[in-house]
Amino acid sequence: MRTFNITLLAIFVGVIILTSHAMGQQAYHWLPIAAAAEAEPVGHLFSFLVTLGTIVFLSVMGVLVYSILFYRASDTSDAPAIRGNLKLEITWTVIPILLVIWIAGYSYNIYQRMNILGSLPLVHLHLLESPAYAETGSSNMQPTEQIEVIAKQWSWSFHYPSQNVTSTELHIRVNRPVHLMLKSEDVVHGFYVPNFRIKQDIVPNQTIAFKFTPNRIGQYQLHDSQFSGTYFALMEANVFVDSPERYNQWLAQAATRPSVPAINPAKSEHSQPPKTPLRSNWHTVPPAQPPVVNK
Amino acid sequence: MTNISIKSASEPEQTDWKRYFSFSTDHKVIGVQYLVTAFIFFLFGGLFAMIIRAELLTPQLDVVNRSLYNGLFTMHGTIMIFLWIFPANVGLANYLVPLMIGARETAFPVLNAIAFWLIPVVGILLLFSFFLPSGTAQAGWWSYPPVSIQNPSGHLINGEFIWLLAVTISGVSSIMGGVNLVTTIVRMRAPGMTFFRMPVYVWTTLSAQLLQLFCLPALTGAAILLLFDLSLGTDFFSPFKQGDPMIYQHLFWFYSHPAVYVMALPAFGVFSEVIPAFARKPLFGYKTVAVSSLLISGISTLVWAHHMFASATPNWMRMLFMATSMLVAVPTGIKVFAWTATVWRGKLHFKTPMLFALGGVAMFLFAGITGVMLAAVPFDIHVNNTHFVVGHFHYVVFNTVSMAIYAGIYYWFPKITGRMYSEGWGKLHFWLTFIGANLNFFPMHPLGLQGMVRRIASYDPQYTGWNIVASLGAFLLGMSTLPFIANMVSSWLRGRKAPNNPWNATGLEWTTSSPPPLENFEEIPTVTLEPYSYGESHRLTTDPSSI
Amino acid sequence: MESPLDSGNSLSKNLNSTPKRDNLAFGFPIFLLSESIIFVSFFVTYALLRWKNSTWFPPGVSGLDIPRAAINTVILVSSSIVLYFAERAIARHKLVKFRRLWLLTAALGVIFLIGQVIEWRNMPFGLDAGLAGATFYLLTGFHGMHVFTGVVLLLYMYGRSLVPGNYNAGHQGVSAVSLFWHFVDVIWIILFMLLYIW
Repeated sequence: MRTFNITLLAIFVGVIILTSHAMGQQAYHWLPIAAAAEAEPVGHLFSFLVTLGTIVFLSVMGVLVYSILFYRASDTSDAPAIRGNLKLEITWTVIPILLVIWIAGYSYNIYQRMNILGSLPLVHLHLLESPAYAETGSSNMQPTEQIEVIAKQWSWSFHYPSQNVTSTELHIRVNRPVHLMLKSEDVVHGFYVPNFRIKQDIVPNQTIAFKFTPNRIGQYQLHDSQFSGTYFALMEANVFVDSPERYNQWLAQAATRPSVPAINPAKSEHSQPPKTPLRSNWHTVPPAQPPVVNK
Repeated sequence: MTNISIKSASEPEQTDWKRYFSFSTDHKVIGVQYLVTAFIFFLFGGLFAMIIRAELLTPQLDVVNRSLYNGLFTMHGTIMIFLWIFPANVGLANYLVPLMIGARETAFPVLNAIAFWLIPVVGILLLFSFFLPSGTAQAGWWSYPPVSIQNPSGHLINGEFIWLLAVTISGVSSIMGGVNLVTTIVRMRAPGMTFFRMPVYVWTTLSAQLLQLFCLPALTGAAILLLFDLSLGTDFFSPFKQGDPMIYQHLFWFYSHPAVYVMALPAFGVFSEVIPAFARKPLFGYKTVAVSSLLISGISTLVWAHHMFASATPNWMRMLFMATSMLVAVPTGIKVFAWTATVWRGKLHFKTPMLFALGGVAMFLFAGITGVMLAAVPFDIHVNNTHFVVGHFHYVVFNTVSMAIYAGIYYWFPKITGRMYSEGWGKLHFWLTFIGANLNFFPMHPLGLQGMVRRIASYDPQYTGWNIVASLGAFLLGMSTLPFIANMVSSWLRGRKAPNNPWNATGLEWTTSSPPPLENFEEIPTVTLEPYSYGESHRLTTDPSSI
Repeated sequence: MESPLDSGNSLSKNLNSTPKRDNLAFGFPIFLLSESIIFVSFFVTYALLRWKNSTWFPPGVSGLDIPRAAINTVILVSSSIVLYFAERAIARHKLVKFRRLWLLTAALGVIFLIGQVIEWRNMPFGLDAGLAGATFYLLTGFHGMHVFTGVVLLLYMYGRSLVPGNYNAGHQGVSAVSLFWHFVDVIWIILFMLLYIW
């Protein structure tokens, strides 16, 4: 009987470890396609968290489900009066503490790596804020252009100072660190591209320097991540990670185009509200003037 | 107060219900008033949630317009927190704490009654704001400036104004309730009821109410400052003048993260009562479970900035708050392991309260794991403000806390009403709720991982699949309240008479009659034993045939 | 079978066996601790904002009038001292002395409030004058409301002291109001240092 129990336990532990490992590997696919250098370590961290999480979940659930299946009451008598077990209680206090230290240490490590890769916000002159960070890493690269990102209710626009180009699309070069200067003209917005795994709130009246390195050519979606009012959901923009040639070509072309007010979904919906079955006539903040862009 | 007579317990039953509509200072009446009022607001909050989920059934905007959508999710969050979970927990605590510690009443009965009657005022204010020309508040329950102080209507009385008023009144009510409960627990315990003889439910209530007293005033302070900015034109949080919107975020989360523990701790208390009773075993590691409640309270006052990992927070703050946030997992883990060990080698009876408790524990385990994930800064930066957070949060507040409130209502229903509920309807209610809740809230995790931002009324078509599942779950969850209501109403009216101790449970509340007499106990008991003396020879056994 | 409930405790027959008045002595300080967090949240906000802004006062204003506020501070602090002697008087059952000192405390409170009204009227800036104005009126106003509440409570307790035999069973109400008054006093001292001295 004892050997049977030990075998059973061993099988259970084996199943947990195998399943957790498989889940951890699977976890990479639950995230959108990685398109920035920062996305890779985040993927590793998530995989690690899923593996550990699955071990904890299956272990505890295993005991719970086993009890539910095999400890059903057959009569109304009481079970043995086990009030506790000091060793066991110390074990399940110490193990989580160690696990937590491990997770925090690993997360810190990943955070440092992202820092070196360049996704750290270089926030400056802000309350509760340490002074501007020294620029780290990628100093051997040629200095990259600082692109101004202007968020307002409810549009994104991107300004390239060198060519004096403004666009509703963000074009960036693959495998080069990107410097963004995030600005908001009204409320708190958030810069979020799921494929890059990066996110930064944009506090009005501050310029937040933000750096990351895209590494996969393609088209991605930028979304406002901090609730910004009525037309919040419409505040999106396309992000293009281009080859250097495509990028230069696009920038040169854009510079030749005349400046016109951009088409703005919030503005068009504000002037022509959709006829939904449930409607309010509540006052809303009118969308700000759409940015003037080199179409 | 002094001329309460013992006779009043046997007053004719016809007039009995009227006291629930009166300004009563009896903690048991107040408890029921809280629970019923909270449940009515829960239905409103749930209705709003179903409209939100109906909108999210398809990527396009096709059910409500955007300002109404924003108003609905603001009201959904506000009502569920301030008018469902808080008052439902305080209601249960009001009913149970004096009975559990062997007191005849609470410390400040009049204050307690006033605290309750402020709750309907809060609810009426919030619901009334739907009819204002400005509409309801639409800045979400966080109400971050500058969005919250934009006031496009220009009216002095606007939705945000009403919202701030409601939150402040709710805060006053919570502080009154907190002072009353903490004083009751510390000062009114029966002879022999030492701290380490108190049931864990009393411990968790004490821990939760201490948190309310210590942290809630920060929200009140923030609300006052925001009201000044909104209505009097000051610039505390105005970024374009001298102010700073980040200060609001800090004040808000200084309270509003501990608020989650204010909601969750009493749920842990309910699990700690229900699971031993239906496993017929003492709570495993009673003292560590009891003390871990206070630890949770303590640590949770130092974790607030994890809501601001993607805000303009400096590195040291992100790392510090990552560490403290993960640390909360230790005392909460202790509780989960203790419940699991209690079930192990028990003699399990799967009555409705036990189903809700075990379902709640299982889903809380999941919520705890995603919680630790969210504390990891690099991962949080990706999923912050996405549906992943919404999913995690609802696994805590619905799948754990609301399940626990249901477990508590079923468990103490015989005590409160003197009637048995219908087990069949109860089980149907459990399965509908359990399936509905998982269908509703699980899909939010993959959606968030894929990058679906929260609070959007329309979304990219790539997210459609999981959203349909979530919406169907929400509608099922809405339906699941019907058997509950039917069960409660019909059982209270004509359910089988309940014995004093239908679950053959330990705890002082089971030693008095069902429902208890006006002054709770014929004689104030003297306590000589630790709680949860299941399986021990000297434990109080009133009816071995019950359960 | 031994029951965990040893009944027959004759003391418990009495409905109000738990000394209810003592609850106030426990509950009221708890309430004040909680209340103080609102002040703390205001103080922290004030400190952070003032620290962040290099120019604080509106143009033409270099600071607040310290001597006038100092007089007010002396009045409020002395009221607390008077109140302390009032508490001592009632502890020694000297009811007449208690009433006099108690009323003197309330009078000092009223004088403080009048001083605050004068202060407000002579302010060189209003609520709309940037954060200096906003924080000044918010903090002094919120504190003034507490002083006013304190005066009302003092007068109410004075009225109750005129009821014969009212304090025979103890005077927890007096202790609670005294505590409140001292609390309001301490808040003022912090406020004075933050607003005027900084």
